[in-house]
Amino acid sequence: MMLALELFRSIPRYAAARTLGSRMPGLLVGPMAPVRLVTRDEPPVRHDGWARVRPLLSGICGSDLGVVTGSTSLYFSALVSMPFVPGHEVVGELLDDATDHSGAPLPRGTRVVIDPVLACAARGLAPCPSCASGRTNLCNHVTVGHVSPGLQTGFCRDTGGGWGEQLVAHSSQLHPVPDDLSDERAVLVEPIACAVQLARRAQVPSGGSVLVSGAGAVGLFATLALRELTVAGRITVIAKHGRQADLARSFGATDVASPDEAMRAVRRATRALRVAPAPLPGPAARIVGGAGEMLLGGVDVGVDAVGSTGSLDTVLRSTRAGGRVVLSGMPASADLSPAWFRELEVAGTYASSGDAFEVATGLARLAPLDGVVGGRYPLHRWREALDHAHSAGRLGTVKVCFDVRSRA
Amino acid sequence: MSRPGFVLEVDDRTPPLVVHEGEGFRLETFPRGTRVVYPPESLPGIRDADGAIRRALLEPTNSEPLPVLLTAGMRLTIAFDDISLPLPPMVKPDIRQRIIEQVLTMAAAAGVDDVEIISANALHRRLTAAELKDIVGERVFRSFFPQGALYNHDAEDPDGMLFIGETDRGEVVEINKRAAESDLLVYVNVNLVAMDGGHKSVPIGLAGYKSLRHHHNSQTMVNSRSFMDHTKSAMHHSAWRMGKLLADHLKIFTIETTLNNDVFPDSYGFLMKREWEWGVRDQASMLAARRGLAIAPKSVRHNLYQGMRAPYGLTGINAGETEAVHELTVAKVHQQQMVEVQGQSDVLVMGVPYVGPYNVNSTMNPILATCMGLGYYFNSYRGQPVVRKGGAVILYHPVEPDFNQLHHPSYVDFFEEVLSTSTDPAVIEAKFEQQYATDPWYIHLYRTSHAYHGVHPFYMWYWAAHAMDHVGDVVWVGADRKAVERMGFRAASSLQDALEMVSGTVGRSPSITYLHNPPHLIADVR
Amino acid sequence: MTSPVVHVAKHVLSGALLRGARQDVRTVARGWRWGRRSMVPRSAEPYVPAQTTEPFPTAWARTPVATVVRDGLQRFGLRPLMHSGITPTVRGLDVLDQLVGPVVFVANHTSHLDTPLILCSLPDTWRRKTAVAAAADYFFDTWWRATSSAMVFNTFPIERRSGSMSATPGDLLADGWNVVVFPEGTRSPDGWTRRFKPGAAFLSQTQQVPVVPVGIRGSFAAMPRGRGWPVPGRPAVTVRFGEPLLPLVGEGPREFGARIENAVALLVDEDATTWWDATRRAARGQTPAMSAPDTAQWRRVWDQTRPPVVRTTRRIWR
Repeated sequence: MMLALELFRSIPRYAAARTLGSRMPGLLVGPMAPVRLVTRDEPPVRHDGWARVRPLLSGICGSDLGVVTGSTSLYFSALVSMPFVPGHEVVGELLDDATDHSGAPLPRGTRVVIDPVLACAARGLAPCPSCASGRTNLCNHVTVGHVSPGLQTGFCRDTGGGWGEQLVAHSSQLHPVPDDLSDERAVLVEPIACAVQLARRAQVPSGGSVLVSGAGAVGLFATLALRELTVAGRITVIAKHGRQADLARSFGATDVASPDEAMRAVRRATRALRVAPAPLPGPAARIVGGAGEMLLGGVDVGVDAVGSTGSLDTVLRSTRAGGRVVLSGMPASADLSPAWFRELEVAGTYASSGDAFEVATGLARLAPLDGVVGGRYPLHRWREALDHAHSAGRLGTVKVCFDVRSRA
Repeated sequence: MSRPGFVLEVDDRTPPLVVHEGEGFRLETFPRGTRVVYPPESLPGIRDADGAIRRALLEPTNSEPLPVLLTAGMRLTIAFDDISLPLPPMVKPDIRQRIIEQVLTMAAAAGVDDVEIISANALHRRLTAAELKDIVGERVFRSFFPQGALYNHDAEDPDGMLFIGETDRGEVVEINKRAAESDLLVYVNVNLVAMDGGHKSVPIGLAGYKSLRHHHNSQTMVNSRSFMDHTKSAMHHSAWRMGKLLADHLKIFTIETTLNNDVFPDSYGFLMKREWEWGVRDQASMLAARRGLAIAPKSVRHNLYQGMRAPYGLTGINAGETEAVHELTVAKVHQQQMVEVQGQSDVLVMGVPYVGPYNVNSTMNPILATCMGLGYYFNSYRGQPVVRKGGAVILYHPVEPDFNQLHHPSYVDFFEEVLSTSTDPAVIEAKFEQQYATDPWYIHLYRTSHAYHGVHPFYMWYWAAHAMDHVGDVVWVGADRKAVERMGFRAASSLQDALEMVSGTVGRSPSITYLHNPPHLIADVR
Repeated sequence: MTSPVVHVAKHVLSGALLRGARQDVRTVARGWRWGRRSMVPRSAEPYVPAQTTEPFPTAWARTPVATVVRDGLQRFGLRPLMHSGITPTVRGLDVLDQLVGPVVFVANHTSHLDTPLILCSLPDTWRRKTAVAAAADYFFDTWWRATSSAMVFNTFPIERRSGSMSATPGDLLADGWNVVVFPEGTRSPDGWTRRFKPGAAFLSQTQQVPVVPVGIRGSFAAMPRGRGWPVPGRPAVTVRFGEPLLPLVGEGPREFGARIENAVALLVDEDATTWWDATRRAARGQTPAMSAPDTAQWRRVWDQTRPPVVRTTRRIWR
């Protein structure tokens, strides 16, 4: 038996999440959360190639919070299997001998990080076209095979997740952690791998200007990856809180601006023209809305690293004609007129594939990541942990983790 | 009889003194022994202003009378100082209107057809039609504006500027083409403070970035001691060189006017009285004004202050050859504003009022407040600065980070981007000035909207360069802490706190001088 | 952005308005010395134009309404108050029976008691029509002192420093008001009378009104300079009115002034001794000069603080 946090189907709580989620998030990460702490059986190893992993640290990701607070799009409802144990940013140690994704042997006790994507290999299927081309994050078979539906570990009923004391992972998901990499850095490998993926998807032209809207974990790691892996010139980061701004600079941002200064900062950085509609009288503006300022000209690549309407709107309005808008994290709805009018390329970026984990491990080792994990909670203090994660930016925290072994 | 200015020494009989701070004022109790510099009382205004104007035009200094210079078929251009003068704007009729009307009357009599009237706003914002009308009057406005013959100078119009030549120091002289190609340029000036006028009128007022960068830079400004004294100002020396070159190419008839110190309307009369002479009525209206300002929402307060018009009286008008005229003008300005001050002090206290040259009908943003305090007021001296080298300056202003998006778009960027990188005028100049001066959006807004040029905030910062170079400590009383910190200064909640903060630089019992300004004054420090 | 109405309402309801106003008023009251003389900083004194004192308007105090109010105040307030503090004795009022106003009452002046003493001694009809000349720089320097003294005592301001008399006393006499004048110009520091200034004589001459001399004895002992209340024990004070004097033809203000001074001295002497003795001494030119003898200060004060002996036995000549 093991202790785990479980996300379960609760119609009233789900309804509450949908209706109140945006207004009273405190309620949702608190009493109304569709999460419970349970003692349940460890997930069994049913097939070859799977091994048991004991999570050491497990991060709380924005998408996890999205599921808890009901802000996640219903689009994903068919891609998960309830009830599941969340947690896909995991550093753990092997309880069985196994091999890693490339087939190299990993003795039990090895520390590993997990690529959470449950692609064809893990499901015991012949590779789909995506998997065959090496882009496992785009696998078409995430609902079939001998594992229950679930796009990732942490959204699947059968595998368990990082927010429990044990999970099972397929060898294709396993990446060993070098000995000199601390747990606190290793737990960041998965989100950094996503950022690596983002940096590759961004296709920044040489010396090109980049706007990263948002300086939470996603935005900061994106900044880090863009600076380290691409030939980007000026990187402008929109940061809401003071510590975020400092970190963004240390991760390679050229300039940092607050959200209400975003358009102005981009304009200055790119010498674009800024146009704004004639202001409407107060009440009319409140009713009509939408008529905001925009840039003619702007950044070559805009990255939405928040997933809010405002952020995406800013990015769409401040990317130059023919530029590229990268959606990182689950996007909210926004006015797509600029994408049409400015012929923007809108690119998604989801999870990671290829050698992203190796590159991310390298980054995690070198980047100034000390103190990025700003909160460690035992599982039974999950309400505090979720609350902290929910207002992490304001509290000067980038990443909140469950310290799964801790009982304190 | 107007009494001369003098230096008060605060003793135990001295009532609290008025200190201006943006759109408001406070009563401050200064430590005993503080020197307070009071400007001379207002000189009596000339009763028959129109007569004085006519005399000046008919009997100019070092020049033929204006009617002699006007001939049929000639090309005449009249340029005038823009809305940055006087401060606050004067009650109608504006003195420029009276002068321009008489010049035009004479031009009409001489049969001059080709006349254009230009607001000499250099890199300042374009004036709105209403503002132009306020300055030149309804008659002139109706006769010239609809035909496009009354307009704002556009320094970024590639076809509108004419390269005149270079001075012996290699300074490019380029001014408004229409003005440069005229047979006669009449310049109508309002000489509010000693820095205005002379060769600052045409070579600066009608110039563009190419010319201005030779004297509007941190190096020149540090060496202008002060820019209120054109004989000791590197900026004025450069302008004078340009003016001399220009005078060889172009016939300029300069008209300069001086005003008295009536800067507040009657209802705020107490602000122009010496505090210990306040009667019951003054005290009552002060208390009422204080409460009114406290209760008024910000917008109301703003409109109240910006709507204030000064009942200035004309103290002098001189016309003719620029340099000769300017000597007479400066003498008159000194008569109205000069106060003799014996020796420097450790701390200089100044209250920054609600209006400066660049926020008429607009907002005084932190950069303009700095320019007003450390630029204009700090430099209001002759001889040596009022504060000793390495001393401290204490300023009063709320310094709210409010920017007028219409008028000051580049200021916002300057504040957010440039000042967060550095506050050193020389560093800023080297790193950012070019970028801002050539930014197409700023140029677009300057030409078509009502925005100050992209490079203008840099000039404001250079204006304060001499002060920043000279003093050790700058503390703002009652200011927004964040905004002030961004500019590299510190904020205090009261004068006592501010003195405490600067005690590291100037000691526990520093000598303090407070400039009781406005009305305008120049401290002649011996 | 809150609406202006909300802003103002908040400002008022939160008490910020009142707090601010109280603070400001306190600052101004202290800084500008409300209720006291306003001060000019020492270093600013050369730059302050010479004070042109505007005469404090007192005409309101002589309107019928003010007169009625004052009558009540004096009768039911001042008189009982005075009798609670001192024991006044009034002699010689019969001289007034022969006169019709207006007249100038001229008295020696040693105490703040003198004005209420004279006023309360007068018959009601005279009292109601009597005004008192008071030093502008003392009684009229602040509005509250000026207003209250004009209300209770019907004072009007005169300049005692500058030689020229203000126009008011003449106007008052012309309007039919009796005027009380203390020609010494100030209260005596030691109880002895100082030289009379010629103003009262001049006034009488220009307006052709009689001067009624008044001698006051004992008020210095009762309440000298510096005291705010009479000494305990209800000390005796006497007020003695003398025969009216009129300027003679060809007499200058100086000579007439000397005559008035002698008349007051005679009254004081008479009060101390008897009319007969005093008159005889006067005929011999031996009226004790009121002007202080050239002795030590303490002896002068000692002399004057001896309470007057008020004879109550009936005398033939009184």
